[in-house]
Amino acid sequence: MTASDTSNAAVAAIRIEGMNKYYGEFHALRNIDLTVSRGEKVVVCGPSGSGKSTMIRCLNRLEEHSSGRIVVLGTELDDDVGNIDEIRREVGMVFQHFNLFPHMTVLENCVLAPMLVRKLARAEAEATARRYLEKVRIPEQASKYPGQLSGGQQQRVAIARSLCMQPEILLFDEPTSALDPEMIAEVLDVMVTLASEGMTMICVTHEMGFARRVADRVIFMDAGEIVEEGPPDAFFAAPRNERTRKFLSQVVGH
Amino acid sequence: MASVLAPPRPGPLDSLRRRFFPTPPQALVSAVSLTLLLWLGWKVLDWALFSATFDTSGTADACRAATGACWSVIAARWRILFFGLYPYEEQWRSALACVIVVAMTVLSCIPSFWTGRRIALVWGVGTALFYVLMKGGVLGLPYIGEEQWGGLALTLFIFVTTCLIGFPLAICLALLRRSELPWISRTTGIIIDAVRSLPLISILFMFAIVVPFMLPGWLQGDKLYRVIVGSALFFAAYQAEIVRGGMQGVPTGQDEAAMSLGLNYWQRIGRILLPQAMRNALPATINQFVIAFKETSLVIIVGFFEILASGNAAFGTAEWRSAYVEVYVFIAFIYFTFVYSLSRYGAFLERRLSVGDR
Amino acid sequence: MERLLRNQKVRNALLQILFVGALALLVIGGALVARQNLIDQRIVSGFDFLYKSTGWDMNFSLFPVSSRDPYWWFFLNGIVNTLFLGSFGLVLATMIGAVVGLARTSTNELAQLLGRAYVDFFRNIPLILQVIFWYAVLTRLPPPRNALEGAGFLLSNRGLYAPFPNIGVAALLVIAAALVAAVALPVWLGRTGRLSTPPDKRLPLKLCAAAAALLCALAAVLLGRLPDAPLLDMPGLQGLNVRGGMRVSPEFMALLVAMGIYGGAYIAEIVRGGFKAVGRGQVEAAQSLGLSPWRIFSLVRLPLALRAMLPILANQYIWLIKATTMGIVVGFTDFFMITALTINHSGQTLEAIFILMAGFLLINMSLAALFNRINRAIALKGNQVRA
Repeated sequence: MTASDTSNAAVAAIRIEGMNKYYGEFHALRNIDLTVSRGEKVVVCGPSGSGKSTMIRCLNRLEEHSSGRIVVLGTELDDDVGNIDEIRREVGMVFQHFNLFPHMTVLENCVLAPMLVRKLARAEAEATARRYLEKVRIPEQASKYPGQLSGGQQQRVAIARSLCMQPEILLFDEPTSALDPEMIAEVLDVMVTLASEGMTMICVTHEMGFARRVADRVIFMDAGEIVEEGPPDAFFAAPRNERTRKFLSQVVGH
Repeated sequence: MASVLAPPRPGPLDSLRRRFFPTPPQALVSAVSLTLLLWLGWKVLDWALFSATFDTSGTADACRAATGACWSVIAARWRILFFGLYPYEEQWRSALACVIVVAMTVLSCIPSFWTGRRIALVWGVGTALFYVLMKGGVLGLPYIGEEQWGGLALTLFIFVTTCLIGFPLAICLALLRRSELPWISRTTGIIIDAVRSLPLISILFMFAIVVPFMLPGWLQGDKLYRVIVGSALFFAAYQAEIVRGGMQGVPTGQDEAAMSLGLNYWQRIGRILLPQAMRNALPATINQFVIAFKETSLVIIVGFFEILASGNAAFGTAEWRSAYVEVYVFIAFIYFTFVYSLSRYGAFLERRLSVGDR
Repeated sequence: MERLLRNQKVRNALLQILFVGALALLVIGGALVARQNLIDQRIVSGFDFLYKSTGWDMNFSLFPVSSRDPYWWFFLNGIVNTLFLGSFGLVLATMIGAVVGLARTSTNELAQLLGRAYVDFFRNIPLILQVIFWYAVLTRLPPPRNALEGAGFLLSNRGLYAPFPNIGVAALLVIAAALVAAVALPVWLGRTGRLSTPPDKRLPLKLCAAAAALLCALAAVLLGRLPDAPLLDMPGLQGLNVRGGMRVSPEFMALLVAMGIYGGAYIAEIVRGGFKAVGRGQVEAAQSLGLSPWRIFSLVRLPLALRAMLPILANQYIWLIKATTMGIVVGFTDFFMITALTINHSGQTLEAIFILMAGFLLINMSLAALFNRINRAIALKGNQVRA
């Protein structure tokens, strides 16, 4: 349980078994069971307060789960510091509010972690960074500061920053919710490109169009538990659960 | 078509009236303020400049004959004010050391120096140079022990070492205080609050007189350095709260992003949190440095010959006894220059940083 | 084993134990070394020394203190001195600060200039320098023989002598109690809802209370008169010194003046900050209601500014009480100086320091608690309205 078994392609990317999370008395996550395979794209949707963000934040230990098991890429996520570090290296996260480091340029934002954590040389890190900035289509902004970029540009830099660590899994916590409408498309395009290249993605979002295009599986969460899940066509066309139907009718048109 | 009218321009008398005498109560306030300003201004200028004796080789008797300020006392006694009892031939070293401190402070204010490494370099090298210059014993400079340091040079030394030791200590205390581990954060909180609730004089007194009791013989050290440690502790307690406030101003998302990238605790603190926290806390930090400079004068109570004590000595002779006001004014002027310029700079920084927020 | 050390929870527990343990080691180590040193110097530990007489005098005290009195009486008087000087200093600083602060917030540019000059000048000169300066000035006044006279007051380098009524201490306490009651009683009765008259009609009641207090004071003065003595004790020159009247020592005056001026400069800035915190919208609303400038000030700006000022003012007051320790520079026997003298004369270093720390912690916490109480009582109710 201490070494991730990357040679075995059948090892699930993420396996959550019977996970519960309490904030004091409040039962935030109830008996979550979820398995995500490599290369699978999962979209998580649900009303606010349903625990979607909490669940994915538990996957890289930004939150600590109270009971149950989480196994990421074959490594168990527990109190072992070594395991936590290993998992955080392989799991990247893109936040709703971008969280770029304002006192560093775009390029410095991207090379920081590879140099400090993966111990890459500066030249190599910069080459990787420029490659990914190219991929998210803003290579010319490399020497600008985050405060000088638009919201959409900042979020794309945040995606590039996560990609520079070359993670196996990417988590997205409502990546377009803080963007002005005209900038949502550019970020979603990048995410679609990533999906088509085989990245394992778990995405919490309200963008149902994106879910239809890209997701292998859509999960609906409400009040801390997984209510329904399924492939997008079945999910959107014929939801089985009453709560799912109610939620979908409220987000019609997205 | 009607002709375009030019805006009404009140005559000079009119605008004066509107500015200073719009209503009877305002007119009264203006009149009183103006009288006070002119009267005070005249009195001060008359005493300090017009009727004053600037004769640099004058004697005290000549001064007493005149009615204004006797600045000859400064000309006669400036060496003791700036250098204390430092030997005459070596006073150039003391002067150079003071200039180094001023240069250090000016460099610290330049934005391009605001990285951890550069600031540490400036202060480290500056303090080392100061120490070597003042103490000597190497590079052919004759040895002059701390007991002979005095005046402005001693004030500056205490200020620089207090800040040099106090600042890293403050960061440690701030990090301990915001730790998630309850025993650590609460104990540190008690220590910080206890130190902050005591008067600085009592802390200096304790370190000068009481702490030797609690130290084994080999750790006793010189009284000067004990007092500096006490002063640094007091500085650190206040600065720790300032740094902690700065850290609270950094959004939690920053730490989360750093964590999700795999950075460890020290990398997160050093590269992400502290740089942003210090930017937030910069005006308050400069204010704290200003206060530290003002408070160096308190060491006179534990018997150090800093600038106030040397001021007392300057007019302490029978000849210059009546010139105490001039000496005190001169010392006040030295403090004022340093403190005022730093506070103005702090205010300027605050305005500039808050504009950036918008 | 290595696995255990990598466990987050184990690490956290170990770190806490190490930290507290290291601190405890330092403290205990220090205490042990101190005990050994004290034993070597043949000083007995313990607080029994508090009951021994001191053998030295206090140069300023409100209550009678002689060298035969025990240490605990000296410490108590030291605290009283600190609080006495502190209260007068607070009041003076607040008065000066209010005037200068209002000058700085006024629309009159000349007044603003005066205020700014005052604040910039006195804030940037260390307090200790100001104390020493005023003390030097006051001790260079003419000797009692050539003292400055005016309206029965005498000012010399031995201090200020004021005429004082010749009444017993009991009568003084009664007067003080009457004055306090005249202010506190109506306020307390009003807040606890025991008064039937509505708030805006209470002026006659307050005037009655004030009148009653004055009558009480007058009665106390007349009844408490010391026998065989004139009503007013006038200071007069007898020989080389001044006899009679109440003497305010130059030490006290120097500290008071310096604290008042320096504290006033800081309080002026706090006052200015308080007024700045009053939203412009509030003032504009009051103006559009047709209120006169005085009413706008007293009914809208002043109450809101006071509420904004209070926390910062509390900090400043706590600082001012700590600043009374400047007394040691001029020889005013405040709490700290008593501690220092105790250490010098009795050698009971650790005990005296403990008393000092406990005393200041107590004073600080009481002041902080008092201001928290006042803050909560006058705070704006609810949190929907933000100026």
